[in-house]
Amino acid sequence: MKDEQLLQGLEPIDSVTAGLPTPPRRLSAGLRIQIRGRSIKLRGLKRPPKGLWRWLLILGPGLVATSAGNDAGGIATYSSAGARFGYDLIWVMLILTVSFAVVQEMCARLGAATGRGLLALIRERFGIGWTLFIVGVVVIANGGVTLSEFVGIGAASELLGVSRYISVPVCAVLLWYLVIYGSYARVEKIFLLMTLVFFAYPVAAFMGGPDWSEVARGAFIPTLRFDSAYIFLLVGILGTTITPYIQIFQQSSVVERGAARHHYGPERIDAYFGSIFSNLMSISMIVATAATLYAVAGSSNIESAADAAKALEPVVGSSATLLFAVGLLGASLLAGAVLPLATAYAVSEAFGIPKGVNLDFRRGKTFFSIFTALIVIGAGIALIPNVPIFPLLVGIQVLNGVLLPIILVFILLLVNDRRLMGDLKNSRACNVLGWGTFLLIITAVIIMLGGQLLELFGIQLFGQ
Amino acid sequence: MIMLSELSRFNITDEKGVCAKLVDLSVALLDSDYPPVTNLFYIKDNSFMKLPWKAVESIDWKSRKIKVADLELAEAVSAEAKNEYVLLKREILDALLLDLENRRSIRANDLLLEEENGGLQLRSADNSITAILRRISFGFYRRNSKNGIYDWKYVEFLRGTPAAVRSGAGYHMRITRLPPGDIAQLINYLPYLHAAELITLLPDAKAVKTLEVMPIERRLQVFEELETEQAIRLLALMAPDAAADLVGLLQTGMMKQYLERLPRKQSSRIIELLSYPENTVGAIMTNDIIYLTGNLTVAEARTALRERFSDTDFIYLIYIVSDEERHILLGVISLRSLFSEDDDCRLEEIMDPYISTLNAVDEVNVAAYRVVDSQLAAMPVVGIDRELIGAVTIDAAIMQIAPETTAEALRIFS
Repeated sequence: MKDEQLLQGLEPIDSVTAGLPTPPRRLSAGLRIQIRGRSIKLRGLKRPPKGLWRWLLILGPGLVATSAGNDAGGIATYSSAGARFGYDLIWVMLILTVSFAVVQEMCARLGAATGRGLLALIRERFGIGWTLFIVGVVVIANGGVTLSEFVGIGAASELLGVSRYISVPVCAVLLWYLVIYGSYARVEKIFLLMTLVFFAYPVAAFMGGPDWSEVARGAFIPTLRFDSAYIFLLVGILGTTITPYIQIFQQSSVVERGAARHHYGPERIDAYFGSIFSNLMSISMIVATAATLYAVAGSSNIESAADAAKALEPVVGSSATLLFAVGLLGASLLAGAVLPLATAYAVSEAFGIPKGVNLDFRRGKTFFSIFTALIVIGAGIALIPNVPIFPLLVGIQVLNGVLLPIILVFILLLVNDRRLMGDLKNSRACNVLGWGTFLLIITAVIIMLGGQLLELFGIQLFGQ
Repeated sequence: MIMLSELSRFNITDEKGVCAKLVDLSVALLDSDYPPVTNLFYIKDNSFMKLPWKAVESIDWKSRKIKVADLELAEAVSAEAKNEYVLLKREILDALLLDLENRRSIRANDLLLEEENGGLQLRSADNSITAILRRISFGFYRRNSKNGIYDWKYVEFLRGTPAAVRSGAGYHMRITRLPPGDIAQLINYLPYLHAAELITLLPDAKAVKTLEVMPIERRLQVFEELETEQAIRLLALMAPDAAADLVGLLQTGMMKQYLERLPRKQSSRIIELLSYPENTVGAIMTNDIIYLTGNLTVAEARTALRERFSDTDFIYLIYIVSDEERHILLGVISLRSLFSEDDDCRLEEIMDPYISTLNAVDEVNVAAYRVVDSQLAAMPVVGIDRELIGAVTIDAAIMQIAPETTAEALRIFS
């Protein structure tokens, strides 16, 4: 027997366990199945939820990636389209929604079918040369766009009455902390919550009181104008909507979410929903500025998202400006985290470095260092007064323009590889839409690059 | 010694002066620690041609020529037949490799080959930046690095599909010598198909231990890629609590199929654990524990335990029960005291009756803290009539209260 003195205060087992057990606060419904002829009730807790929750839980990488595309640059482009040409460019968004959804779905499928990110697959199938080229362009372009997101955060916060010297460092630290110390599931949830700010744009669109018959005309009757501003804006919309980092992030986060080929269905819904949601928000931006700036003041020039927000004030009032500012702040915050993450994923996958938000800093040192460096540099430069962001964005647009068709070809080749994809290989319809999108993009890129090249020699490709 | 990036620029020439560009080389992975090059491949009239290495007469390193007797001896290889060869450039270069010495995955930036007895052997994988520079400089940069070189003997090459193992592809199998925790660590960095391939490669006992320490989501992802027969074998060997966690996440049809095909004893244990709701003690406990009746002597207990140790999950504490039918919990004996007490002592004389217990439907988080605070290897779980039904190990308790970013499942005591 043990030393009785040491056991003072303890009672033998009979009296310790006397009484009924305390039931847990929440007992969940079970699952009844037949095993070897016996009816057995098992806990049914990990069964998929039903109703609205089921649909909400499906949302994730697709919605986050596509919404991040509606960043500061995107808001500027869509607002500009509305302010300059009214509802005339909405039809482009409808076509792009189909293309966007097809491309995003292919990336989600690649991720689920292979468990590998886009850059890992490109490295394995197309070698180090292409990989280095893509990684190089992604790092430079995403670095530049990250900077523009922090400029967007600064501009939006100043519209809301907070100095950029406070908002930019605070937001940078918050984003950094969220990714470094959060699990993927938590980060994804917060990103999903951030997408709610985009509802500011439909509200702003309704406040503008648009002529809905004109909106419908702009959406379903294509208008083509052969003047340079129209063509370049059209190309700009295409480049803003379908951007390489969105594809990279979508695929990598599908992988990190743990989606596998046996459970691919929800990822497809997420990718389609995300593309449709994101483009509806983009259309709202066009409608908001078309119904106000274009309808009242005629064709107006807008160079940034902050310009759009400011320009709305005299037409609709300060509430629309505030809505635009809140939207811009949320969008820039989301993209300010997604872009560095997409870059960290791309570099890590290319070189076989451990990657993922789920890792701790010790195990994902390189991954988190890339993420941290982009945040620090982006936020740091954004604090420099009068930083020339516009020429930088033009350069980035060119880089992304060059990269996009290349990435798209790789995606299409990979997604058609039966050894890699098995039963999830591309269908004929997907291929038609995918290659159609490629043709659309390559045409746009040629127009964009050709136009910029000719402008260097003083030649205008289209009339003013 | 030559790097594959350098060798790729070589031509194959024969005595008639016919010349072809070397496109790839195949190796026999199973033949030795350092796989020999078995065939040379080149393209002729859009056909992939194969020439056995034994046709090689000499290598002119200076003029970058592999001299063979007659290029006409080469035979065309169809696209399907090509898949039967392990090609250095197409498959191993740029692929994910497992560095078994450092327990991590690397990418093969280049491959180092060495001439031996007239043959060429794959000696190591180069993961250095220098290797990348060599490859993109088209031969202008030729420096070799001493860092980032991984001896092929300690490298495992995975194909990225579990089907490769079943189709008899060659593997070193040195991975099987690593402890399960290390293998699980490696697996966490791999794409899920590579991970499933690795699990398929392991002997069942090690595969089970590895699966048990993997995070549950990863465990499920990998498990679903396994063939049904292998999956059932592994489930049968798995600790019931780990198996229940896994089975509980499967789709209903799949869950039913496994539970019906598992050995009856394991199936019953899993069903018992799965019958407790998620947020209760029953959901995290193990019911694979050792219990003996109090009237046994220490010597008799040791004999009884010898038979039960090998197939029991948790063995560090022996629970003493009233009888073989009702299993009313009376006390506990540690493994240490069982071996240090006299043979003639009865278990009820040396057992510790002052133990805290948990109820199977207690709130799980409160119970987990109780187990951790108790500093015991496990705390027994009893039913309403104090019948012993399982135990919550300290591993399970820690996992329950650990932050959600904790990657691996703890299985130190079970």
